[in-house]
Amino acid sequence: MLKIQDLHVEVDGKPILKGINLDIEAGQVHAIMGPNGSGKSTLAYVLAGREGYEVTKGSVIYKGQDLMEMTPEMRAAEGVFLGFQYPVAIPGVSNIYFLKAALNAIRKHRGEDPLDAIDFMKLSKKKAALVQLPDELTKRSVNDGFSGGEKKRNEIYQMAMLEPSLAVLDETDSGLDIDALKVVAEGVNGLRGPDRAMLVITHYQRLLDYIVPDVVHVLINGQIVRTGDKNLAKRLEKEGYSEVRGAMQL
Amino acid sequence: MNEANRQTLLASVPDSFDKGPDWLRTLRTRAAETLRQQGLPTKRTEAWRFTPIRSLVDSEFTRNDEEGPSLVSAVPAGVRVRSLAEVLQSQPELLQGRLDFGGEPTHFAALNTAMFRDGLWIDVSAGTIVEAPIEISHAGPSSSEPGVAYPRVLVTAGEGAALTLIETYAGGRAGQLSNSVVEAELGRNAKMSHVRVHESAGLQIGRVDVRQDADSVYRSTVVTLGGALLRFDVRCLLQGKGAECQLDGAYLTDGDDHVDHHTLVEHEAPECRSGQTYRGIVSGKSTAVFDGIVIVHRDAQKTEAHQENRNLLLSDTATIHTKPHLEIDADDVICSHGATVGALDQDQLFYLRARGVPEDFALAMLTYAFVESIVDRVSHEPTRARMREALLSRIPHGDEIREVT
Repeated sequence: MLKIQDLHVEVDGKPILKGINLDIEAGQVHAIMGPNGSGKSTLAYVLAGREGYEVTKGSVIYKGQDLMEMTPEMRAAEGVFLGFQYPVAIPGVSNIYFLKAALNAIRKHRGEDPLDAIDFMKLSKKKAALVQLPDELTKRSVNDGFSGGEKKRNEIYQMAMLEPSLAVLDETDSGLDIDALKVVAEGVNGLRGPDRAMLVITHYQRLLDYIVPDVVHVLINGQIVRTGDKNLAKRLEKEGYSEVRGAMQL
Repeated sequence: MNEANRQTLLASVPDSFDKGPDWLRTLRTRAAETLRQQGLPTKRTEAWRFTPIRSLVDSEFTRNDEEGPSLVSAVPAGVRVRSLAEVLQSQPELLQGRLDFGGEPTHFAALNTAMFRDGLWIDVSAGTIVEAPIEISHAGPSSSEPGVAYPRVLVTAGEGAALTLIETYAGGRAGQLSNSVVEAELGRNAKMSHVRVHESAGLQIGRVDVRQDADSVYRSTVVTLGGALLRFDVRCLLQGKGAECQLDGAYLTDGDDHVDHHTLVEHEAPECRSGQTYRGIVSGKSTAVFDGIVIVHRDAQKTEAHQENRNLLLSDTATIHTKPHLEIDADDVICSHGATVGALDQDQLFYLRARGVPEDFALAMLTYAFVESIVDRVSHEPTRARMREALLSRIPHGDEIREVT
């Protein structure tokens, strides 16, 4: 579904990603772990199409298409979803209304009719229940006055509404207590399926106890230095990134 | 009408006034003298520095037959709406001291005082709480002749009274000038919500003067949808302890529009609160001006005053002048003021796009949200809905935004 080859990315002329290779199949959950500043969020933003990230080398092929050539909204329409580490608040733009605009734009791209107000509200209620997001929060301005946990649940609620093919979840666990983490993880697990791939980015192994990955990558200084199964995450937790870095002689 | 009847604004002011009660003739004579001495403002007049009125001052106008405004809603129970001309004829003593209570009028306010022939007196007696809004319309004539009108409105709300006044300035051809004055006198504990929509294509110079007694509340929401030349001044005198005013406004400009909003809040009594929030979206080659002043007099201890002007500048060729300022003579006060001029938030824009909202629609959503927050403060729901509708009619993708909201 996603094939990243030798991806080099610069921000303000400074190299951040230095040759990433990644191959994610439909149905798989990949985790990327790494210390602060290793380039995890950069990878997430590049995949979603944020401005200011310059691809200097390499390619990203998504469902056979050059992802880097697409606008952010085109990527979303093609099924790419980014769960933000720090979801921005947008006062005055209602969560549910903007989501309706987004969902209907995506449906239009797929050649489907827009959902009418009633069907949309039914769907919203169902998906909000999945992550225990109070109905009232779905109607408020996007993330405006939301707690850290509410923002993250809102991200997963939106993901559930949009039903992406590829979900990139950037530090979805940060700022969550254990109960909130379980709720969010259950929401994510409920969306796992044979047609959907996920890229879960995290600093800590904790999240991966609840969202069990098929493949774990370790990203350090802009490069994937290790790839393994879920046990690699456990080893990292015990030994720390410096051990891995040392062992790799990087 | 023909060209022979056209005069410049100053030349049209009579030398003497022979109609109406003595006090009114004195008022008009003084206003005319002030005008003869001061003239109309120029670029060198500080408060008019950014308002391009030179051509207006030099132009010749025909006096319109209709002064306006006209009442377009039913008169709710407990409200009396009367013609100013009729009251000046039959019971002039009721109006004595109530016109021009703001002191010595200058410039265009003086011109209105000298020239107005009629207008409306909206009176809500003590203790009467009126839920339904009173709506008046200032519709310019359809004539393309350069005409001038001097609409005049007086609102009086007795102790504990409450009302909502909606004013719409619509129609008006380019070259038509409306030079209006609205005065409001709020008794103790009275409440007035004042909504004003400017959507006229004509030239508009409007002034609102509010005098507030103790614990009264005045809320003003102004929505300006462009304008070839619009100058709006609102002044609140907080004269009684514990009075409160909130002055909000949203302006959308494009093309060659020039819109100019001035506020002045005078805290004369202690424990009063005032707030101002003006937001503008400035596009094309248009110019927007915000000039806000808060004056806290020496005796106005425990004043709370806030003032904010935020602007979205959507083109390289548009201009914004913003000047919020405070003059504080009391020491126990809480005051804040600020102004921003910027573009849309790129993080917000990316968030919406990353979810699938096309860029131009996302821009429109954020633009609408920026000004809608002003309208959102209007408490009367049908009025709020109408004002939203007015904004949507001017915002790109308004139809699509309407569908999802």
